[in-house]
Amino acid sequence: MSALRNVALVGFAQGPIVARDRHRMSTEMLYPVVREALAQVGATRDDIAYQVSASTDYMDGRPFGFVAALDVMGSWPPRQDLHLEMDGSFAAYYAWLKIQAGEADSAIVCGHGKTSEGEPERILNLALDPYYQAPIGLGPTATSALQASAYMARTGATDADLAAVAARSRAAGAKNPDTQVREAAAATALQRTDWAVEPLRTGYLPPIGESATCLVIAAEGKAEKLCERPVWIQGVDHRSEMQSLGARDLSRSAGAKLAGEKALAMADVGAAKDVDLVELMATTPVEELILCEALGLDATAKKPVVNPSGGPLCGHPIMSTGLVRLGEVFRQLTGTAGERGVAGARRALAHASMGHCLQQNIVWVLGAQRRWS
Amino acid sequence: MTEPPKEPVKYVDANVYLPYHYVAGDFRAIYLNGLREGKILGSKDSKTGKIFVPPILNSPESFAPCEEIVQLDDRGTVTTFCVVNIPVIGRDLEIPYVAASVALDGAAISIFALIQKCKADEVRMGMRVEAVWKPAAERTGDHTDIQYFRPTGEPDAPRESYINRL
Repeated sequence: MSALRNVALVGFAQGPIVARDRHRMSTEMLYPVVREALAQVGATRDDIAYQVSASTDYMDGRPFGFVAALDVMGSWPPRQDLHLEMDGSFAAYYAWLKIQAGEADSAIVCGHGKTSEGEPERILNLALDPYYQAPIGLGPTATSALQASAYMARTGATDADLAAVAARSRAAGAKNPDTQVREAAAATALQRTDWAVEPLRTGYLPPIGESATCLVIAAEGKAEKLCERPVWIQGVDHRSEMQSLGARDLSRSAGAKLAGEKALAMADVGAAKDVDLVELMATTPVEELILCEALGLDATAKKPVVNPSGGPLCGHPIMSTGLVRLGEVFRQLTGTAGERGVAGARRALAHASMGHCLQQNIVWVLGAQRRWS
Repeated sequence: MTEPPKEPVKYVDANVYLPYHYVAGDFRAIYLNGLREGKILGSKDSKTGKIFVPPILNSPESFAPCEEIVQLDDRGTVTTFCVVNIPVIGRDLEIPYVAASVALDGAAISIFALIQKCKADEVRMGMRVEAVWKPAAERTGDHTDIQYFRPTGEPDAPRESYINRL
């Protein structure tokens, strides 16, 4: 483990999460964010060695749209680049690997997607297998509802439990000026919202939004020059599970559990509950309950605070939602989280997932201290 | 009971239908609105002064913003071209016709254009051409607002004037 390099988050910029940007294309949303992130670290584009972007062309229907993004990320003179059809948190993992490999000392990681131009429910249907699952019309809401049924059957969780989780997210999100929905909502009110797909109510679903995000990461030696309080990556782990929904226990997340254990061990942290705050990419209350179980967390406890940002239930800019979790941890640990800031936070966990029903999970452990000396 | 298939199933049809609601984008909207008014608009790189057409938000080359919108002349030089022998669906074009890259005067890059009013085998690199517009009342803010480019009859532009604007 000691052969690993210390790598830190040094800058993060996020466009406002909105339901629909009526004028700008995805790339036009991304450019100001890349500039803002670079301005934060006082760097020019030439100072950053590597770039990774996360987007999916299916979202806005512009073939090779990810290539157009090269123009707004500053790719001239030519530099090494990678594109992922995954959430930006996974792109950050590739950037981290590139730095670990000694091939770069710094990277920008971008997430962007125009969810309002396509229909995410139909588009994400294509992430399922084309023989048994996609043809019957399953979308993310339907698969989440299958997962909710499985979880409620196993644990006895009730509709009121789901409402309580959603209400807690909404209360936290009310303090976050960067998220999409900023109105608190009582659990009883959420419990009166219509069924979306039973047992999930519309009040339990994330507002699908669009945004562009840019994270800057750098290796020890460079990170301190770019940022007064770098947020060090102490541990990270990424696990994929089988695509087929029938091949795994939807009521649990074996992947998040294993990724959490490995990332915490790498960071030399005993348990997830030992950190100060946790940002989970839970797109339904049930995902939050499953992730908390997998990570051994009690979301109602005072410490660690779970999703002080309000989480995805207050804003779900697909392709950036997980990267925002890393950005939130960066803001928390640099003391720039404003009213939602967790006092004295020194160490945090950020999680992101991709695919239906938490198919793929990545867990980051981040802290104010360097991990390796 | 249905008989099991005699031949193994080798594939399934899985047609995908995805509707989209495009936005043109801030800068493309400026360009399309310009066409409706009979103007070709570009944007100027705030660092190098190069003009990109259609206008774009930033220079891919210098990374600087290109927010200043400038109008370009609607004449330019054929930088490269091809002779097309396939009919275009939805357009009544006599074949063969010529699709070309045209570097408008003052622009750093070229646009794609249809060349008409001359024989296909007369088109050449360096040929000077000008836009032929639809009548103002028929323009809709679409690329076809410029019906085509036609030769101006000017002497050919020297190679070095366009070779970096292909």
